[in-house]
Amino acid sequence: MLEKLEWLDDPRVFRVGKLPAHSDHTMYRTTDEIKQKQSSFTKSLDGDWQFHFSENPSQRLIGFEKIDFNAEQFDHIAVPGHIELQGFGQIHYINTLYPWEGKIYRRPPYSLSHDKSYKGLFSEAADNTVGQYIKTFTLPNNFAQHDVHIQFDGVEKAMYLWLNGHFIGYSEDSFSQAEFDLTPYLQAGENKLAVEVYKYSTAAFIEDQDMFRFSGIFRSVRLLVMPQVNLVDLFLKPTVDKQLHTGNLSMSLSFDGKLTGTSAKIVVQSPSQNIVWQETVAISSHVTPSSAVIENVALWSHKHPNLYQLLITIFDANQNIIAVVPYSFGFRRLHKDSHNRVTLNNVPLRLNGVNRHEWSPTGGRTITMSDMTKDISIFKNNHINAVRTSHYPNQIPWYNLCDQNGIYMMAETNLESHGSWQKMGAVEPSYNVPGSIPEWQDVVLDRAKSNFEQFKNHPAILFWSLGNESYTGDNIAAMDAYFKSVDDSRLTHYEGVFQNRIDEDRISDVESRMYAHPKAIKDYLTNHPKKPYLNCEYMHSMGNSVGGLGDYMQLFDEFDSYLGGFIWDYIDQALYVTDKVTGQQVLRYGGDFNDRHSDYEFSGDGIVFANRQEKPAMQEVRYYYGRYDNE
Amino acid sequence: MDAMTMNELRVVYGDGTLGLHGNSFDYIFSYEKGGLESLVVNTAEWLYRVPKLTFWRATTDNDRGSHFSTQSAAWFGADMFITLKDINVKIDDKSLGLPTAPDNNRFSNEIFAKNVAITFSFLTATTPQTTVDVTYLVSQNGNITIKVNYTGTSGLPELPALGLSFIMPEVADGFQYTGLSGETYPDRQAGALTGTFDIVGLPLTPYLVPQEMGMHMATHSLTVKNAVSQPTHNHSTSINRLTFNQHTQPFAFSALPYTAIELESATHIEELPLPRRSVIAIYGAVRGVGGIDSWGTDVEPEYHISGETNHAFDFTIVPFQ
Repeated sequence: MLEKLEWLDDPRVFRVGKLPAHSDHTMYRTTDEIKQKQSSFTKSLDGDWQFHFSENPSQRLIGFEKIDFNAEQFDHIAVPGHIELQGFGQIHYINTLYPWEGKIYRRPPYSLSHDKSYKGLFSEAADNTVGQYIKTFTLPNNFAQHDVHIQFDGVEKAMYLWLNGHFIGYSEDSFSQAEFDLTPYLQAGENKLAVEVYKYSTAAFIEDQDMFRFSGIFRSVRLLVMPQVNLVDLFLKPTVDKQLHTGNLSMSLSFDGKLTGTSAKIVVQSPSQNIVWQETVAISSHVTPSSAVIENVALWSHKHPNLYQLLITIFDANQNIIAVVPYSFGFRRLHKDSHNRVTLNNVPLRLNGVNRHEWSPTGGRTITMSDMTKDISIFKNNHINAVRTSHYPNQIPWYNLCDQNGIYMMAETNLESHGSWQKMGAVEPSYNVPGSIPEWQDVVLDRAKSNFEQFKNHPAILFWSLGNESYTGDNIAAMDAYFKSVDDSRLTHYEGVFQNRIDEDRISDVESRMYAHPKAIKDYLTNHPKKPYLNCEYMHSMGNSVGGLGDYMQLFDEFDSYLGGFIWDYIDQALYVTDKVTGQQVLRYGGDFNDRHSDYEFSGDGIVFANRQEKPAMQEVRYYYGRYDNE
Repeated sequence: MDAMTMNELRVVYGDGTLGLHGNSFDYIFSYEKGGLESLVVNTAEWLYRVPKLTFWRATTDNDRGSHFSTQSAAWFGADMFITLKDINVKIDDKSLGLPTAPDNNRFSNEIFAKNVAITFSFLTATTPQTTVDVTYLVSQNGNITIKVNYTGTSGLPELPALGLSFIMPEVADGFQYTGLSGETYPDRQAGALTGTFDIVGLPLTPYLVPQEMGMHMATHSLTVKNAVSQPTHNHSTSINRLTFNQHTQPFAFSALPYTAIELESATHIEELPLPRRSVIAIYGAVRGVGGIDSWGTDVEPEYHISGETNHAFDFTIVPFQ
């Protein structure tokens, strides 16, 4: 396989050599490792990498992936981390317009006609910065003779990967995990990884989220050794009967490796740590154990996030333990009735939520576990019970934290093409993507699949969101149909059909709007609504704001098909900078980095400041969200 | 009979001022500057300049997005510049007009009164103009009740705020108030707790772009600590306190080291000047902050302040606890 730079220009190429998305479980060698939360099957590659920055593709170093390449001139960079926050490239904040606004004229390939592919659109561009990363690692002893994979949790926006000079794969989708098989070119002792990261590819047209625009390996990277038997995927389908008495867990497990004679013991423990079900099965590539029926099931909800613990122990033919896999899951019943009422465990669902970008004033979208646990504690203190992962899949631990703390999730797919259909506030979809353009369908379906496959087992997720502000069309409808085909336990969400109702009957289970006036919501809900209503964004918390929240909250009293919504948004996006005049650490926003065109302070819409200090408006949120917190 | 034992006010009919003196307090009203120029309690001076009518608030992001500041920009100028039109002095309920020379030649250094009222009438720098009266009623115990009367005039834009600001010579050590917790506005006060709150210093709310901040609605009482200038020979370490009490209705206030115009001019918090004074603004009317969106939607109508209707508010300054 020969890698091609033209893939950057082609929306039909977004994964080459990338392994299929799968559930986000972790395999451990022993139960002790589970307790220590440290798997010997993984080796982190986070830390210092060698790095070379180029302003554009033509200036990149050719052949840097080869073993004999002399990398003495390379700089260093921290992984995970954004390139732009480590002294290379340009920090830039822009909202809806594309980041090349006023600098380079671009249209998405195939958007204006099927013969317009724009050769060299990104591969020969003057503005497409390139980060070349090298990491040399020594293969751990316990990895020898085994298959080895590599996982990238997040790379913006397009990456090529080589091992020991051999091309391994190509990946887009900045916010979903990319996993590759390194086995064919792995050698004993030292190995050389080379990663080439491009700031832009056609993915840039559908990753036009309202945020600072960064590039680089901004989430963790790790090696995974495949034990003799690898649990490739785990799909749990816990259901509850209408009376909320009996839980039923069906499971589907996919295995890979030398499976002959191996077996798996599957044990389910209740939240009070009693074993409530177990079964031992012979392992084959696809295993469907009998359903676990659990009486007097403890339900999962916001106030009572009861989690059951699944433990899969994998044995070889001699009954030696090969690996153990823990997974927490919950039983809850999400139901939409014919009157557009949505209930969770037969209680009306109330979303007292926030939209949340992953943000740190020092790391940008590279956030830490301590940032996440702080966010959860702020949520709990202020009765915030729901989060929309605006506008992309988040780091995996965030989903676990939401499971554990009863935070309802709207899990959003990494899709936003705002600049392709809205300009200076006006709807103008003349070159909208993905729209109904065939060349743009597979890429958005792949993003939906990555979102679903990775996070499907999390009880906290109540909604699959197709993405944000991308207008409408066949491709969005295909995403909706995909989620429906694989999951009947959750609702789909998409707001863009509000901009053009032509597709409203085939996209989104909910009527979702942004910043609708309470009176407009009342109008919708009193006039034979087709769907339950929710605010995917409301209460624009920019600066000194959040006046009039009570008008929205009162809609809960009037309408049982009103689901509440998600405040825009949780945290200001601003960056710490040392002020040249005072020497103090100060927070800076768009336009402060010579970044033009910019939307300046428009990224400061949090109910917490960028450093997670609560804004004064939080006491109003705490009051109303507490008052309307029902279960 | 000795007036001081009767605790009456000693009135000094100056040529440019009216002085009122009592037991441990000394007030001077400036006819030129249009208000209370000096408020001394136990030798400590509480005022840097005469209290200033306040019509502007630093533009919030929602104000900018809804173009409110553009529509009401006349009040920005009115906040900066104002015309003093008329002064009327009343001693023990008897009107004296403006008792300057030669009219005041008939007085002496031993004139006393039970209560004194002085009204300053201002004309706003707006088109059309309107009148705002500020009346100070000083009673013999030193309490000053201040009444502000705004005359609604057809054609005037909505007011961003209506208040009277006290610029104090130093940064206060802090303040204590009885009212609502946190930063509140008419459309954002349901979640506040009622109580008495002690605040250290004059904290800013670190909005990314400095803007209107620090409002406290429905306040019954506010006590400012140590925002005073002392004579150089005074080495007292006692804490000076000045209290603003509700008169007929609760009031709103903010206590910040900056005026609205200073806040308005900064794009980042670090651009604000070093804190140097206290700006204690007492508001009779506060506009809501809004929150539906930041690019066009106005504050809900019930939280606007009409420029076309009358507004009045009052409060009492109590120099001794």
